[in-house]
Amino acid sequence: MRKISRLGHEARLGWALVAPALGVIALIAIFPLGWTFWESLHLHELRMPWLGKPFVGIANYVEIAKDPRFWAALGHTAFFTVVSISLELLIGLFLALAMNRVFRGRGFVRAAVLVPWAIPTVVAALLWRFIFESQGGILNALLVDAGFIDQPIVWFIEASKAWVPVILADVWKTTPFVALLLLAGLQNIDLSLYEAAAVDGANAWWQLRHITLPLLKPAILVTLIFRTLDGFRVFDLIYVLTGGGPGTSTEPVALYTFNALLQNLRFGYGSALSVVIFAITFGLALFYVRGLGVRLGGDEA
Amino acid sequence: MSPTRFFIRAKLVACGRVCILAGGLFLAGCTKSSAKHETVLTFSGSALGAEGTLVAKQLQRFMQLNPGIRVELQRTPDDASQRHQLYVQWLNARVGNPSILQLDVVWTPEFAAAGWVLPLDSYSPGKSDFFPATITANTWAGKLYALPWFADVGLLYRRTDLVKREPATLEEVVSDARTAMAARGGPRYGIVFQGARYEGLITGFVEYLGAFGGRIIDDRGEVVVNRPEAVRALEFMRDELYGSKVAPLDALTWHEEEARFAFQNGNAVFMRNWPYPVAAMSDTAQSKVAGKFAVSPMPASGTAPAGHSTASLGGAQLAINAYTEFPDAAYKLIAYLTAPEQMLERAQAVGQYPTRSALYDDIRLKTALGVPPENARRAIESATPRPVTPIYTELSEILQIELHRALVRQAEPREALDAAAAKINALIERTGMRKLMAGA
Repeated sequence: MRKISRLGHEARLGWALVAPALGVIALIAIFPLGWTFWESLHLHELRMPWLGKPFVGIANYVEIAKDPRFWAALGHTAFFTVVSISLELLIGLFLALAMNRVFRGRGFVRAAVLVPWAIPTVVAALLWRFIFESQGGILNALLVDAGFIDQPIVWFIEASKAWVPVILADVWKTTPFVALLLLAGLQNIDLSLYEAAAVDGANAWWQLRHITLPLLKPAILVTLIFRTLDGFRVFDLIYVLTGGGPGTSTEPVALYTFNALLQNLRFGYGSALSVVIFAITFGLALFYVRGLGVRLGGDEA
Repeated sequence: MSPTRFFIRAKLVACGRVCILAGGLFLAGCTKSSAKHETVLTFSGSALGAEGTLVAKQLQRFMQLNPGIRVELQRTPDDASQRHQLYVQWLNARVGNPSILQLDVVWTPEFAAAGWVLPLDSYSPGKSDFFPATITANTWAGKLYALPWFADVGLLYRRTDLVKREPATLEEVVSDARTAMAARGGPRYGIVFQGARYEGLITGFVEYLGAFGGRIIDDRGEVVVNRPEAVRALEFMRDELYGSKVAPLDALTWHEEEARFAFQNGNAVFMRNWPYPVAAMSDTAQSKVAGKFAVSPMPASGTAPAGHSTASLGGAQLAINAYTEFPDAAYKLIAYLTAPEQMLERAQAVGQYPTRSALYDDIRLKTALGVPPENARRAIESATPRPVTPIYTELSEILQIELHRALVRQAEPREALDAAAAKINALIERTGMRKLMAGA
């Protein structure tokens, strides 16, 4: 009896100690989320005050479900995320394996690789925009000089071509981050495993498939979770590079939401879109953590 | 409470304390500037560079002429959409400052319908002195809500050394462009314009649309942007890109500046643009076409009987914040800034087009605009406002996307315009605008 009450006392103390932290989380995470959700249940158009601000239930969500531009944007986002992350993982793994070897100037290379990651996204996007500009762009000039094409390519007026600079820019910018995460994972692998495998006559390919990749899985999953969530929220890169065009054929959900919320000042509908994006990214995070067993804490990460 | 107003309050409080300390000795002096009696206006608007200097000077003069009124300058972003966003936030919060708003030509109906700006009719502003299009653009539900401060207007720039005669039709523009391009050492492009997916695309489209006798919304509030005239206008634009190829595909990613660079560097025969590039392009230090270009309104199509020469109307208007404490004083300032003398001074200082037609006969305007005033006047006389409706911004976004889809060949012109019309109709229904627009 006494013991239980002491435990209760300790639990109370524990709660009291974490209360400030919980309060801060509630203030900066839960309150805005709740507010956005509440807003999403209203018709609220800042530039049309004559409509008032009536409660409309799930009408905004119904509109989203019927909005072809939203579904197209979701498709673009998924496409962008899958393609860019696949490339980043492949190239990042290659870079990480290279950087994990012992060679002179390794420290310098590791630092140098991070440069693209350190450049602000908007600046990087502008750089890529200049490279791909049809008139006076470096890429077109090189391709014409080398004789690959006669006429400069106008990259930004065809959806299939407009994706090229978008994906390239993202891969260029984010691969170093991926490589670094994977490198950290590689360094946790016990080198004696490779020595033992080599003694048993296993070649490099076998070692990669049966030692490196399985032991790197936690690091790969952590990378995936970070990059998937980033990919789903992609905004600045595409905003600067294509503006979502031509038409709306490279528009991701975040850009569409920005447009509804801040350009058209449709607070109700924009909030509903924000809630949907939140639900999707949250669902993805849950899937990774529960479904694939990613551990965000502990040794493996 | 806005920062400025907070600041004023703070100063008044301080003033009050001094009064008490001084034992009423300076009471007379102090009451003069107390909250009840002093009229303080805040003016927001373009305040950069030469324009800023000019505005400051004119405000000073106004204060000397009206000793009871103090005007403070409140800086707002020069970028139109940022200023718009700020205004909307302030007005939703019912803030009375700035007391005078500088509105883009397409915002007036939106602000009027929202009840954010006051009607000006009771002040008898002398509407007939202004170009009719500039008044139409500022009228909503039969009332005038802003006075046109200066006009922007779409112009067709022509290289006079390559094309001697001003083309009389759109078809002539294309054939002149082809001839000049084909000549030895001829420019790379026939005609350059603003074709990126943004507001500039609509301003260009409105000109082609008028040239073929089409409209976006007719006088009865019906959406007519998918009628045959409009389809022909869009087909004509597309033909310039893919058929006669006088326009570069690059133009579909261009804004004003890219078009200006192409024309200024001697790479284009014609250009569609606003008046602003005239100064830079007349400067031999940076321009290869100084003294070799002329402006005119975009001509009508020679094949469309209902078509007429059309220029898009842009520019700035001044309106009274509905929440200001001093609407009468605010109108006084607006009337002063839009008076002939101030407009003329503005044209001379920064080359912006006056909105009063009589000024184009004034000898002092002769050199102010960088082009013959007669040509500028012709352009403004053929100016057409973009649809005058409170839901313009969203309407424009729909059109921007569908026009761009047609121009980059993701959709056929007819199909794109049908889609645009359907979406605009849905927008009108959603916002309850149907009846109001029919009455307008």
